Amino acid sequence: MTPSLSAVLGTELGKLKRSLSWSIVVLLPLVMVFAGSFMTLVSQQQLADGWHTLWLRSVVFYGLFPLTLGLGILASLVWRPEHRGGNWNALMSTPVPTLRIVLAKTLAIALLGAVMQLVLLIAVVVTGKLLFGLPGLLPPRYLLVTALLVVAVLPVAAVQSALSMTFRSFAAPVAVALVGAGIAAVALAAELGGVIFVLPHALTARATQLATGTFGDSGQLTAGGSLAIVCASAVLTLLVVALATRFQERRDVRV
Amino acid sequence: MSAVTVGATGPVVVNEFAKLRHLRVGLVAGLMVLGTVALTLLSTVTSAEFADPATRTWDVPLAGLSLAVPMVSPLLLAVVASRMVDIEHQGNGWLMGSTSGVTPGALCRAKLLTAGTVVVAATVVTHLAVWALGRLAGIDAPVPVGLWAGFAVTSLAVNLVVLALHLVLSAKVDNQLVALGIGLLGTVVAVFGSGFPGWFAHATPWGYYSLVAVAGYEGEHLVTTAPSYLSVLVLVGLAAALFVLVTSRFDRQEARS
Repeated sequence: MTPSLSAVLGTELGKLKRSLSWSIVVLLPLVMVFAGSFMTLVSQQQLADGWHTLWLRSVVFYGLFPLTLGLGILASLVWRPEHRGGNWNALMSTPVPTLRIVLAKTLAIALLGAVMQLVLLIAVVVTGKLLFGLPGLLPPRYLLVTALLVVAVLPVAAVQSALSMTFRSFAAPVAVALVGAGIAAVALAAELGGVIFVLPHALTARATQLATGTFGDSGQLTAGGSLAIVCASAVLTLLVVALATRFQERRDVRV
Repeated sequence: MSAVTVGATGPVVVNEFAKLRHLRVGLVAGLMVLGTVALTLLSTVTSAEFADPATRTWDVPLAGLSLAVPMVSPLLLAVVASRMVDIEHQGNGWLMGSTSGVTPGALCRAKLLTAGTVVVAATVVTHLAVWALGRLAGIDAPVPVGLWAGFAVTSLAVNLVVLALHLVLSAKVDNQLVALGIGLLGTVVAVFGSGFPGWFAHATPWGYYSLVAVAGYEGEHLVTTAPSYLSVLVLVGLAAALFVLVTSRFDRQEARS
């Protein structure tokens, strides 16, 4: 009997113990929120629009580069053990179907990505209350944006996983993530909204801009905009996982 | 053949250059040039200061360069260093080098010389490309040679310090997540550096990118400043001493497998 997807995913998560993955998952969102808040404090400005300004300063730049690069590094980390010693052939010799391996790796990266968004959300709330003493709580629309972000990291997780599966190098896929993030930033600045259906890095960046009014965003969280993020995530993730599985099945063991 | 001849700097550096081809370091350096020039060009053509062809000055592309270099360089330097060092971790290169008379420290120094040459070449190409594109875009004003050369030299010095730091980090910590994670956090510090107070900019190598910036926007106005030569000189001196110290400690360690 072949192991189930949840069993393979459990194995993948087990490999991440003592892997230092927490340093990206926790530190990166904390540093981004800290950088935005610290600059506000140093310039002795007030948060003009309360929670909205704090969210905007913490999340928009984070979505343009650091988030996708962080996911790229995590993907390299998840695939690193397989590229060492004889582990590659051991992985290919197991009775686990390739699709299940590719899916489990993607889900493990996406799960780390989801935790990153939760850390970001908590950091924004704590900073808003303790550092700036903002009234009330973070508006619920940002909870919805966080949920959409959790979905939007899936295609980047899939594509970076595919790259890290293909390249033995830890750093090369991260360089590709930087190129992807750069193209996404230019396309979003040019208000080419359709790019989210083509480039996963643009989809993640776009999701961080929801309800902020930056780049091409209207400033409102609409059902249409949210649905576009979910649909693009589903289509791109399935497509990348299918392509990566097909590629991997043709490659198989190496000597 | 004696160990001294085998371990001499020249052949080791030549060998490192030979390794660059398969590591696609040229491609990463090309990306660094392309990314920096593209970002500079974008920020230049979208600047309000650039709208009137009659009053176009070199300050606008210099402000673009001052922003593009810290955005693009730190992570790609981390990638170059990681690529060059990770092969030694994966292919048992430290042990092989040691048995043929090249100590890990000497290997790291050779890697800095090799990668440093690539970074110098990439810097020259970047600045020449921005100058050529500026001329094509119709900037007829005289080139502020002193200011531009000051920025080119000081930003190159910061890049080389960051590269040396990453070579040591990648060599010391086998898990490349550490080096690339620090490269990513360094990018954040480099980009936000100009908004932080001076003491914070001096605290990490990445903060120095904000100290060498020669042009930037204060509100709507474009202002130029001379790079902090003294700060960069101190950084380079300190980094060189630390690099020599750390790599000579590598030499005294037992060969790693």
